[in-house]
Amino acid sequence: MSRYIKSLLSFLFLLLATNTLFAQSATQLEGEFKLGPAIILIILLITFVMVGIFNRAKDTSDYWAAGRKISPVGAGMAIASNWMSAASFLGMAAVMYGSGYHGLSYVVGWTGGYVLLLILMAGQIRRYGKYTAADFIGDRYYSKGLRGFGAGLAIFISFSYCVGQFAGIGLMFKWILGIDYTWAVLIGASVVLTYTLISGMLGVTKNMQIQYVIIIISFVIPLFILCYKFGYFAFFPQMGYGAVVSDVVNGIAPGKGITAMGHDFAILPSPEFAMPWDPATGQTAFQWIAICFSLMIGTAGLPHVIQRFYVVPRAHDARWSVVWGLFFICILYWSAPVYSAFGKILSASPEVGKLAKDAIVVYTAQLGDLFPLIIGFLAAGAVSAAFSTVSGLLVAGASAFSHDLYFKVINPDATEQKQMLMARLGTILMAAGVAVIALLNLGLIAQLVAVAFSLAGCTIFPLFLLGIWWSGSNRTGAWAGLFAGGGVSLIALIYFIVGKYGGGLPGQEFVSYYLNAWYFAWLGAPLAIIVNIVASKLSKNKTPVEIQKFLAEKVHNYKLTEK
Amino acid sequence: MPNTEEYNVNFFKPLSDHAKTNKKLISTLAIIWFFAVFGFQALLILFNEPTPEKAYTSFTAIWPSVVENQESSIQDKQILSRSVLSVLGKNIAVKDDHKNILKETLTWSVMTMLHDSLRDTFRSEPNKETFVAAASLIGLNNEGFDKIMVDLLPFSIVKASSDELNDDIKNALPDIMELYLVHNQNALTDFNFLGFPFHYWYTAQFLLILFVVLCLIYAVVIDRTNKKFNFVEES
Repeated sequence: MSRYIKSLLSFLFLLLATNTLFAQSATQLEGEFKLGPAIILIILLITFVMVGIFNRAKDTSDYWAAGRKISPVGAGMAIASNWMSAASFLGMAAVMYGSGYHGLSYVVGWTGGYVLLLILMAGQIRRYGKYTAADFIGDRYYSKGLRGFGAGLAIFISFSYCVGQFAGIGLMFKWILGIDYTWAVLIGASVVLTYTLISGMLGVTKNMQIQYVIIIISFVIPLFILCYKFGYFAFFPQMGYGAVVSDVVNGIAPGKGITAMGHDFAILPSPEFAMPWDPATGQTAFQWIAICFSLMIGTAGLPHVIQRFYVVPRAHDARWSVVWGLFFICILYWSAPVYSAFGKILSASPEVGKLAKDAIVVYTAQLGDLFPLIIGFLAAGAVSAAFSTVSGLLVAGASAFSHDLYFKVINPDATEQKQMLMARLGTILMAAGVAVIALLNLGLIAQLVAVAFSLAGCTIFPLFLLGIWWSGSNRTGAWAGLFAGGGVSLIALIYFIVGKYGGGLPGQEFVSYYLNAWYFAWLGAPLAIIVNIVASKLSKNKTPVEIQKFLAEKVHNYKLTEK
Repeated sequence: MPNTEEYNVNFFKPLSDHAKTNKKLISTLAIIWFFAVFGFQALLILFNEPTPEKAYTSFTAIWPSVVENQESSIQDKQILSRSVLSVLGKNIAVKDDHKNILKETLTWSVMTMLHDSLRDTFRSEPNKETFVAAASLIGLNNEGFDKIMVDLLPFSIVKASSDELNDDIKNALPDIMELYLVHNQNALTDFNFLGFPFHYWYTAQFLLILFVVLCLIYAVVIDRTNKKFNFVEES
């Protein structure tokens, strides 16, 4: 891995040294072909494909779980890279830029969920020893139906989560290469599909480690320069930007510097940027808490996140991979608000016009008049972030299709070769379907992703939580809980879609507010848990002894009970 | 047949010493996690006070006299114009329909500072001359926040449609001004820490640090616990 990183970094530094050759398009806010950034992007794309080729999956264990041989730090980098999607890289700063303190609910929600994941699930999931989320559900609840339903859910969640990433890929391809959005999505989809198809989880995980380095370096470098240029504490921008936030709140009189478009680095007092639940943002405290909670439990229920615990050799490694992963994730999450704060000031002049919020990270670097190649590298970092997540999602969705549906339900006698074929077919189907939906270009990236979170929180999270921690939770309870959580999800989505097209159902306003598509898990998840418990208690269908025994001995170490 | 009670896994009723230790650890960390995240937000909700910006206080002081007497003093119109510019300067935070009302109000306010015979420049499409005149009438100079307001004028002065401020604007403006100029603040937001408003630092920085520390503590302690109870995690 280090070989790839070294050669990649050497080339990038060479490009930076020749920056003046490419010093063009610095202040072009719209998509036109940009030579330097285009070279960086093309090198990255070739690298990803080459890494895929060098790490070809030889069997299904490689394709689904990277042969279970990834180290905790490597797995941590892969967790972080898998996690830091276009929504983290681009969308989070966009929400904070538009809605101020409200956007921090995404920062806290997307990190706090890892604490739950670690203390409640990571080690136990690994000790249970399966390949996929649906695999666990089907086995723990001794039900082919639940396995199929779980696989369907995993595909649906991976699918909707993936759509947001393709939108991000399209946005950045358009910005760097100046190509039409449709072509951007198609090219992006083809590249990520190529290396995922060749290498499965093995090459995807190796690529994720490289992508993590690219994501972090490209994201953090501009912050040092912005802080230095505008007179803030540049040694540690993640701390130094505190003064930027305070300056936005209190206003900055002209005199601190000039932006790329010749405007003063100045802004009138704007407390709405930082004050909690400012009326001007149209967001309330309830929404903040509901989003934060939904994202947290959604994190612990996302199939492509859960699946990462299967790539390490032991439960100990699974736990430490979360610690490393969260630390690596936090480096980016500590940094994202810096872009929104600088973006707020740099775009304060009405002459800048209305910027696409989703691209505010790149626009901020442009308006701050950074080197064009650094901006190009930043955009390429956004592409890496989207790619790493998409590839993880493709493997998660494809394995749900080939392993959980085809192999475990439809054709248990399938040969290894046949399973590999189905895994690859599943990957192609997922990628093609997602690309088609992405072309419809549905709204803010972060919000698209949030739908997947709430859905995962309402359905998969309760099944894992109770499945691990209460052997009394049985098949009947699982079905009942799934219907309760799924029912809330369905109601929320129906009202959302009707509202989106201008229609109105009874209580439309009430439901749209309290069961908004982005945070309906605040109600759906607890309800699913309660229903699961009640139905399990009432049911005569008890968890089989062999499953209870496995859970007690292998997962919870009860065989050493001193009684 | 094995006794199923022996294998009864229940987080709240741990059967082994290892499970009891695990339960204690998880409960402690979960409680810290929960109160650190949601407890702090609850404190913010509890302490929040609607706090007006200076521009809003100035606006509410002169607005009644402007509504009652549209030919009110030049000083009142200057204050009104500055207050409106303070909102227009928030740029992306302001909704487009609100911007239109604010721009019409500003144009009317500036124009009516002039004698009727001198208002023609505001009745046609605004130009550089109009903006210079507007800056001078509002009393803006080219320093500090005034310079930002001067730069805002070309985007804020529109062609005047009437010498009168219509009822729709009169009714809508106070609410718009309140929406953008009154904020939820309290001691936790006003206190500055490491350059940040404290609540912002706590949520954007401290909570993330806490999450990493909680994870680290869990990973270290559970490794020790497993060792203590001879729990070998098979690969």
